[in-house]
Amino acid sequence: MTDTVLEVRNLRKEFRGVVALDDISFELRRHEVVGLIGENGAGKSTLLKVLSGIYKPDGGEILREGKKVTFRTAAESAAAGIGMVHQEQSLVTSISVAENIFLGVEGAGVAAGVYRWGTLRKLAQDQLDKIGSPISPKTRVEHLTFAERQMVELAKALSVEERADSEPVIVLDEPTSVLEGDELEVLFDQIDRLRKFASIVFVSHRLDEVLRVSDRVYVFKDGQCVAVRDRSEVDVDELHRLMVGRESTAEFYHEAKQTAVIGEPVLMEVSNLGKTKAFEDVNFTLRAGEVVGITGVLGSGREELSRVLFGAEGFDQGSITLGGKTVGLRSPVEAVRAGIGYIPAERRIEGIAQGLSVQENIFLADPSTVSAGPFLKPRAAAAAADEWIRKLKIKTPNRGTNISNLSGGNQQKAVLAKWLTSPKLKVLILDHPTRGLDVGAKEDVYGFIRELCARGIGVILLADTLEETIALSHTILVMRDGRVQQTFDAHPGNKPRPVDLVEGMV
Amino acid sequence: MNTFGSLPRWGKRAAGVATIMAVAIGLGACSSAADDNKPAASGDKSDVLLVQGIRSLSNSYHANWAAGGDLFGESVGKKVIVLSDEADSQKQLSLVKGLAAKGQVYALNIDPNTSSDTEAIVRTVTEAGGYVVTQWNKPDDLNPWDIGDHWVAHIGFDGTGIGKDVSQTLFDSMGGEGGIIALQGILDNKPAKQRFAGLQEALKANPGITLLDDQTANWSRTEALSVTQTLLAKHGDKVKGVWAANDEMALGALEALKAAGLAGKVPIIGFDAVPQALDEIKSGTNKYVATVSTDPWWQGGAALSLAYKAATGEIDVSKLSHDQRAFYAEQSIVTKDNVEKYTKAPTLEALKPDLDDPFKRFSAAIN
Amino acid sequence: MSQSGPQVADSPATGTPSRASSPTPPDPTAPSGFARVRGLIGGGGPAVALVVLIAFFSIATPNFFSVSNASSLLSQLSILLVISIGLTFVILLGSLDLSVEGVMASSSLVFVLLAANDRNDLSLGFVALIAGVLTGSLFGLLNGVLHVYLKVPSFMVTLGTGAIGVGLATVLFGGRAPRLMDDGLRGLGFGNVGIFPKLALIAILVLIVALLVQKFTRVGRYGYAIGGDEPVVRLSGVNVERYKVLSFVLAGTGSGIAGVMAAMQLGVGDVSIGAGFQFTAITAVVLGGTALVGGIGGVGKTLVGAAIITVLANGLILLGVNPYVQISVQGLVIVVAVVATGWSLRKRVRAIK
Repeated sequence: MTDTVLEVRNLRKEFRGVVALDDISFELRRHEVVGLIGENGAGKSTLLKVLSGIYKPDGGEILREGKKVTFRTAAESAAAGIGMVHQEQSLVTSISVAENIFLGVEGAGVAAGVYRWGTLRKLAQDQLDKIGSPISPKTRVEHLTFAERQMVELAKALSVEERADSEPVIVLDEPTSVLEGDELEVLFDQIDRLRKFASIVFVSHRLDEVLRVSDRVYVFKDGQCVAVRDRSEVDVDELHRLMVGRESTAEFYHEAKQTAVIGEPVLMEVSNLGKTKAFEDVNFTLRAGEVVGITGVLGSGREELSRVLFGAEGFDQGSITLGGKTVGLRSPVEAVRAGIGYIPAERRIEGIAQGLSVQENIFLADPSTVSAGPFLKPRAAAAAADEWIRKLKIKTPNRGTNISNLSGGNQQKAVLAKWLTSPKLKVLILDHPTRGLDVGAKEDVYGFIRELCARGIGVILLADTLEETIALSHTILVMRDGRVQQTFDAHPGNKPRPVDLVEGMV
Repeated sequence: MNTFGSLPRWGKRAAGVATIMAVAIGLGACSSAADDNKPAASGDKSDVLLVQGIRSLSNSYHANWAAGGDLFGESVGKKVIVLSDEADSQKQLSLVKGLAAKGQVYALNIDPNTSSDTEAIVRTVTEAGGYVVTQWNKPDDLNPWDIGDHWVAHIGFDGTGIGKDVSQTLFDSMGGEGGIIALQGILDNKPAKQRFAGLQEALKANPGITLLDDQTANWSRTEALSVTQTLLAKHGDKVKGVWAANDEMALGALEALKAAGLAGKVPIIGFDAVPQALDEIKSGTNKYVATVSTDPWWQGGAALSLAYKAATGEIDVSKLSHDQRAFYAEQSIVTKDNVEKYTKAPTLEALKPDLDDPFKRFSAAIN
Repeated sequence: MSQSGPQVADSPATGTPSRASSPTPPDPTAPSGFARVRGLIGGGGPAVALVVLIAFFSIATPNFFSVSNASSLLSQLSILLVISIGLTFVILLGSLDLSVEGVMASSSLVFVLLAANDRNDLSLGFVALIAGVLTGSLFGLLNGVLHVYLKVPSFMVTLGTGAIGVGLATVLFGGRAPRLMDDGLRGLGFGNVGIFPKLALIAILVLIVALLVQKFTRVGRYGYAIGGDEPVVRLSGVNVERYKVLSFVLAGTGSGIAGVMAAMQLGVGDVSIGAGFQFTAITAVVLGGTALVGGIGGVGKTLVGAAIITVLANGLILLGVNPYVQISVQGLVIVVAVVATGWSLRKRVRAIK
């Protein structure tokens, strides 16, 4: 027994000459929670993939409980007691919780090729019990909420313990990006519970959370480890500075660029809008250049409201006027025609067209600026695409790259570009536009929202955090149980505090 | 459209994939063949090449067709070339185009895969200076005289008249009374329509017979079995006879009758004279009373003879009447009495009169 | 499938604040027999449609609910069911097998030509039967290997192997359908045990085996997982290729058994013995509620789908509907069914959000 359960020495990984990991050393001690932070491309994901056996390192070594190990497959890494909770959820929704936990490593759950369901479920129950989760092993994953799935992921990661002869190492890759409020608390409780018998690597973009749970924090930048700090000797601002190399201030949200919108023309007016069983009696106006933030917990009705405003769902009460004309918004097509754009939270499901190139995605919504009649003008499209890629700092090998190969932040930028290319755009609905993005990418997105406003576009924002809502919005609607509880004016110099908003939310 | 066996329909499906690849090759072959298409009409008329165009020798109908052609070849002391296209229209056309490379005047007797293939084939032959007789498939609005003298004639088989006659055979075996069920071919298919029209005419002449039900079984034995099962459940012992638009369906219906314990009690008729149907007619135990034969030996021999006579100049095509150039040939009802004749090839002697006079079995003009 | 298994009681994620309510009552009392069946064949849509069709035809026609028609229905269902069950395993992967008709042709001919027949002097009895079935398995293996290892889309591969199957069958066919002369084997496809046609008993046996495979073996379980999310399964260290190939082998075996059954029923081996079954079988699978995108569905549901198609074809004839109209009615039912399954799938995608 040593006190270092996992150690990485001088690890190096290159992809066709591009250095992703440059001489990384990293140490995880027994029952410790280590935070790992860094911007996109800093090398966090690469390190995790090396640890989980997906990538082979080009140099350096990995030691598990003091012994040198090499992982050729994910299964070998798991057999060494390293359990992963991936950023993209890695559960198969079409099968049960029990099957997911032991997928590929059923052990005693399958004897002589025959499933022993009782045993398998019992084994799964044991894993779920470790984290005190009430989820039934028989449930199909598709029926679980995101937060519940996260718990199953955790149980799955913990199951490596059964196959390894040492205490488990649990790697949590961005576990909080899809969780909100209470769900976060549950996760943190779990981490506290786990550290009694496991050692944990916690990767997150949310610096305050990293600081909250970690004993030590490793800061990665450009493939190198630029700092290691004990929790007691560092704060969020310093972490931020270490990570991006600049100060974190109100500048982060580009607040200085926010301008007053009083007296600007009204773009959209929503009166007494309602949808049975979702929300009712919603009123607001959106002026040119204004950001209206809508906040509320899950189930408050704000998600449905945003979908209604984009025509993805119908409404049955009240009216919506756009530029003085009443609109029905019966379908997204109608919404796009009316000049409304929508960037959904689930990029992978609704936002991007997987398999198409970056360029094709950019011009998907409205190819009119680069078309002559029904025909695309290839050279104009290529030039315009390059222009957007440059402007938005989309990190892509070239405009023809399949968008699926881009990182989340860069996909999000391409989705933004998709709407920005439309000269008809008047109103843009942003549904969690920074979800899952790192600080640097977030800042780019914020800058971008300011730019939209300067162009006179109205933005309806469903933000990830209260801070984000407050900083970006001119007007904030707080929703609860399908109703607008409070409306705040949030012009520069008149910003409400988060606690003011919370009162209306719960 | 020829309904013989399942092979044509099936082979076509099978060849579908091959065709995708063959198109490229086929197109290449076409263009090079086109360069060689120097009219060879000036060639030696005593040295005419005899050619049969059929689906496949593995299908007994076309094998008999080819055998009939060989009998004719024997009568003029020549070998007959057989082009078998395996039900691939693309292949069929390129085989015909390839004939030009032989540099001889040729006489072709061919069964085009589909009606839409016919025009390309006869035009290819015309350009190459050959002579062709087509059978079964041609577009209704296209006739040999529209193309010229190199398309000597088209021979078809009218299902209506013979359909009426064979239906009568069925009714007679039922004693002129009782209900029947009818299994139709693919509904839009021309022979299917003609044969059913024949049945309806026969019904008019036989007031004692009722048509209990008519259903399509799409020429398929398997489908015919289940449709017959259902119809037997519906009509029970009112079914006194089974009429099927081809032998495949009749044989499927027979299995349904066997399963219901009715085989040998309910008479059946079909069309096409497939070997198993002929066996059933010969044995008689299952009351398979009749089928219809177009006489493949005659189709192979007499029609090839007609093309040959045109090629050698023995027949002056321009002097033939329109009736002679597009006609329905006689078909025969096969029953227990004459089945022997259709189970083995005729002798050259027996076929000789038909070879000498290819119009001997003229039944009616198509137009 | 808008309804899910009995154990699930969760609302869509967009509903009430999720974390607060416990997601699932941990295993209520053991599910009742009815609930068990419902879990197996899937509640809602297709099952209801089947019951409605049966009720309608029972009232509208005097013969539908008769012993002779019931036995004719079962015999008509048998072969379709066996093919569809095999296809279910492939469609669950999100793949397709279009070689059904070619495989049936080959296996029927291999079977008949090895059993006592009127073409050659062989008489291998049950060995012939097994050879016929294995012919199907081999085609399935070929399908799977070509699809999985050469990474050719399954519909392309199987279209090609289906053509090979027809080609092989054409060679074996040799101009006329060889007849099955082995009375023992012939008897398996012929006649009833009580009101049960023997073919239906074979189909029921296949159904039971398939249900067990689906529930209790890796190929059955991983099929769902692979169809649901292949990359994740791969990351879990599962040999995805092996289980995909095995699923294709199951499908090929189904077609092989069906070819042998059809040969026993008709008494011949024939190139066209599977004519029309390909499309009908895919329809049966989808109609039952197995989604073409994979991951959702199952063998039990396919039973419902196949039964709907069989009942519809039978009932329309009994009603005396004009054959021209029948084709349209059947087409209409298929469109409605596909829209209906697509509809519930739409809900599913939303539920993931």
